[in-house]
Amino acid sequence: MSDVDHPEASDLPEAVGRRLKGGAWSSGLSVADFAACVSMGLRPLALVQGFCAMQWSAYAMSGGSPWGSRPTAGAPQGAGAGAPYASAGSGSGYNESWPCPHGVASLEHRWGGNYEQPWAEHAWSQGFGSAYVRMVEEAEEAGAHGIIDVVDTARYLSEQSVIEFHVTGTAVAVEDSPAPAAPWSTYLAGQRLAKLFEAGFVPVSVAAAMSSVMMWPNCQTEYLLHGTSGWGYSYGGEIEQVINADTAVRRLARAAVRSQLGSDTLHGARFAITRHAGNMGGHVIECTLRGTRVRRFKDFDPIPAARPTVRLS
Amino acid sequence: MTEAADLPEATRHRLEELEHGLFTSDLSVNEFLLVKHAGFHPLGFVMGSSIYHTGIQTRRWGKSQELTKLTEAMYNARELAMTRMEEEAQELGADGVVGVRLDVNYYEWGRDAAEFIALGTAVKAEDGNSYLNAQGKPFTSDLSGQDFWTLMQTGHVPQALVLGTCVFHIAHRGLAQTLGTVGQNVELPNFTQALYEARELAMTRMQDEANRLGATGIVGVRLEEKSHQWGSHTIEFLAIGTAVTKGTGAATLPVPTTIISLDN
Repeated sequence: MSDVDHPEASDLPEAVGRRLKGGAWSSGLSVADFAACVSMGLRPLALVQGFCAMQWSAYAMSGGSPWGSRPTAGAPQGAGAGAPYASAGSGSGYNESWPCPHGVASLEHRWGGNYEQPWAEHAWSQGFGSAYVRMVEEAEEAGAHGIIDVVDTARYLSEQSVIEFHVTGTAVAVEDSPAPAAPWSTYLAGQRLAKLFEAGFVPVSVAAAMSSVMMWPNCQTEYLLHGTSGWGYSYGGEIEQVINADTAVRRLARAAVRSQLGSDTLHGARFAITRHAGNMGGHVIECTLRGTRVRRFKDFDPIPAARPTVRLS
Repeated sequence: MTEAADLPEATRHRLEELEHGLFTSDLSVNEFLLVKHAGFHPLGFVMGSSIYHTGIQTRRWGKSQELTKLTEAMYNARELAMTRMEEEAQELGADGVVGVRLDVNYYEWGRDAAEFIALGTAVKAEDGNSYLNAQGKPFTSDLSGQDFWTLMQTGHVPQALVLGTCVFHIAHRGLAQTLGTVGQNVELPNFTQALYEARELAMTRMQDEANRLGATGIVGVRLEEKSHQWGSHTIEFLAIGTAVTKGTGAATLPVPTTIISLDN
């Protein structure tokens, strides 16, 4: 995370301290997850949360031109349990030109390109990272061993250039255990977490990254996106430029998350793809990859044979 | 707690009919099965409502602040609806109300007025023990029948549906602030702090309610945000969950078993 600012650690509102010192615990767990939590020997302590409102400006090119030539970003970022977020991209940058296949120079016939957008990836990692660190701070204040059922969202506030990152979870303590150095975190809860332990793994931290690719279609791609094939050309099925952009955005997110894992593995990985219009007729494709970084602590014990059942609900 | 008015005549008549053995409920069949399995039987569908004038409160364009009058109004209106629902449950001799839903509706004919409605199914324990909460009232809970059964298996009993609210005005950014951050992706600490503070206030108030009941915890906490009819910079943050205490019975959680579902 050399090129992303770390949030300050001591900026939680005063109300947080008051709430966490209160008598009754709170939890965002469903009752089924709460029951599974109790049966695993985990005690809920508090609903913990972190926020970060970020100005989100498409014009902020933190290095690199709007045409996507990525700056020399350096080594993979965000490694280690304390930094479960990273800018996407492996450092090589994704930049692909798409010449006009017709060989005609006119306004209609134009080149296109697919470009990684590092500014968006850095902004996302900063916003997510700040909110996450604040949530972990709350959990530390509550004396937690871990944070389960982590949920992260990002949404536009009424001012359209402001995005609020919101990370919540339930801080838990392991019964009769000494306090750890730093709480672990996981997107899992309830039965899924119980099965993870059963399978011989413990959660280390959540792992997440967002990658962003801008696609400026060349004339041929533009034709195909509008349902025509262009004069004299008929490609049939795939639109290669779109396929390449879609593949690249996933690859970048995967590389960024992989850089956080060290020798651990990722459990429950989920891709979320969003598409929206970009500048100058471009298409922005964003990919968020989330999962739980897990570490093996025991060999897998074979589970008993499954029992056929009919659900009543 | 806010004073609640007497129950309407039609309500009394409906509740009297329920006392003769017939029950109504909005429980699904599976919920009904599990509520019975938890040792409770439904007595009747209960509700309470309040139409409340939420009024206005002046706010400063460039200042983030809690709008206390609106906070109080939103809290009192819900409390009135809840209290009336509890009264109906008490009238039936219930130990508690499960599956409580708390809704807010706005009507064309009253732009500044909102209707707050609390609905649920009153239940009574079959073992003859009292499950009234620390205030001597029927417990309330937004848990479904399935969740109610599961909670009882953990050795906990519900106390009350607890809530905390905070209506907050988030400051607009001035021209100088906006220009100062043009072209940058940066955190806006004023926004972060305002939203953080508002949610914390709502959660603290919810937790205070639970503490007053002597609850040990709150399950199923939800944080809801709505602008209602106040415009995008004024938001109500509502924290809501079911306060629980450790019951006298031990936890009887079944051992998890791997299954193959035969359903489609």
